[in-house]
Amino acid sequence: MPDESKKSSAIYEQTLLAGLWRENPVFRLLLGMCPTLAVTAAVKPALTMGLTVIFVLLCSNIVVSLMRNLLKPHLRILMFTLTIATFVTIADLFLKAFSPEMSATLGPYVPLIIVNCIIICRAETCASKNGLVISILDALGMGAGFTVSLCILAAVREILSTGAVFEIQLFPLASQSGWFVPSAAMRMPVGAFITLGLLLALVNCTTPKKAKG
Amino acid sequence: MSKIKYFIQQSWLLLIAAFCFGLLIAVASAAWSPRIEANRIKKLNDLMQGLLPNANSFPMETKVTIKSAKGKKTEVTIYKALSDPNNANTCIGWAFNASGPGFADKIELVIAVDKNFENFAGFAVLTSNETPGFGDQIKLPYYQHQYKKAPVTHLELVKTGDDKRIDAEIVAISGATVSSEAVIKIVNNTAAQVKKQMKEKGLL
Repeated sequence: MPDESKKSSAIYEQTLLAGLWRENPVFRLLLGMCPTLAVTAAVKPALTMGLTVIFVLLCSNIVVSLMRNLLKPHLRILMFTLTIATFVTIADLFLKAFSPEMSATLGPYVPLIIVNCIIICRAETCASKNGLVISILDALGMGAGFTVSLCILAAVREILSTGAVFEIQLFPLASQSGWFVPSAAMRMPVGAFITLGLLLALVNCTTPKKAKG
Repeated sequence: MSKIKYFIQQSWLLLIAAFCFGLLIAVASAAWSPRIEANRIKKLNDLMQGLLPNANSFPMETKVTIKSAKGKKTEVTIYKALSDPNNANTCIGWAFNASGPGFADKIELVIAVDKNFENFAGFAVLTSNETPGFGDQIKLPYYQHQYKKAPVTHLELVKTGDDKRIDAEIVAISGATVSSEAVIKIVNNTAAQVKKQMKEKGLL
């Protein structure tokens, strides 16, 4: 019995931590690239997007896991989309009611979570095949991995484009008799692509490659 | 009968889930709609205040119905900008909502004009889902500035020109001609019809 308990704990731990590094959705699986590139000009919107994805991922994984034995194979994608769309609509309404400015900043990218590959991928590969606990841990791990990745990307871009992070000025701007010259390009889509490319290269460099053959 | 039975066998979960999820969204919407509407009104007032900074109050004056370019009827609410909230004769301008199709989705604007409806005081974006980095530049001052004090005539969109010059020519946003054109069409269509109807009602 203690062996079984130890084994389950190890599985739970692995599931929770997988999303943070080994199967990080942004840096390892390259999923959810649309919000990754679009809302990472600053940390605040990136964090809001990450938290919204965690909420949707958690709710959809719970619902899909609970009804996994009732799902007809040819209707499962329809069910996943219906479930995800419901929670995205609720999250969108919540943001419009309680954080209208952030809702306006994120614009169409909140409704676009419906087609975010991470959520449908986790519903298909994890929640529809596992129990409630594993599905919840998977959602939390993957969601946290996505949020952290978005925040890292956003922090780099925000620092280079404004000299600030989380709207706290770190470097004195040259326009205000300081030394830091902000790069406007880092706020534009080009900045997102360059930063993501460099971070992916860094992740690849730090990952040990599998031996050939 | 067997076809109906087969249909129910296959889709009962989908039907129940759709009903439950619909109910959930309806509850959330009912709970948060008043707050969302209050946020919208606050944003509208803030935008009108930004366009007509000397005004201290924006009472609703009237509602008119206008036709879009495709013939669809839309209701426009006209607000009177008063410098003294207690004196209706201190009108310094008018503001009204306007909407139309953009590049990605519907664009909703607030347009402000002077008290004689001869020059624009500007416009502001209430809602839009234009492409970030391109079409959403309609929210930026350098594009909106061109409308300030521009005559209320048929505005023309030009691809090149001096965007600092205030006249009936509006320089398009580079890379977002469709969004720039959408704004011009909304402004032209709404302003012309609102002005005509306000004259008919004796408000001008």
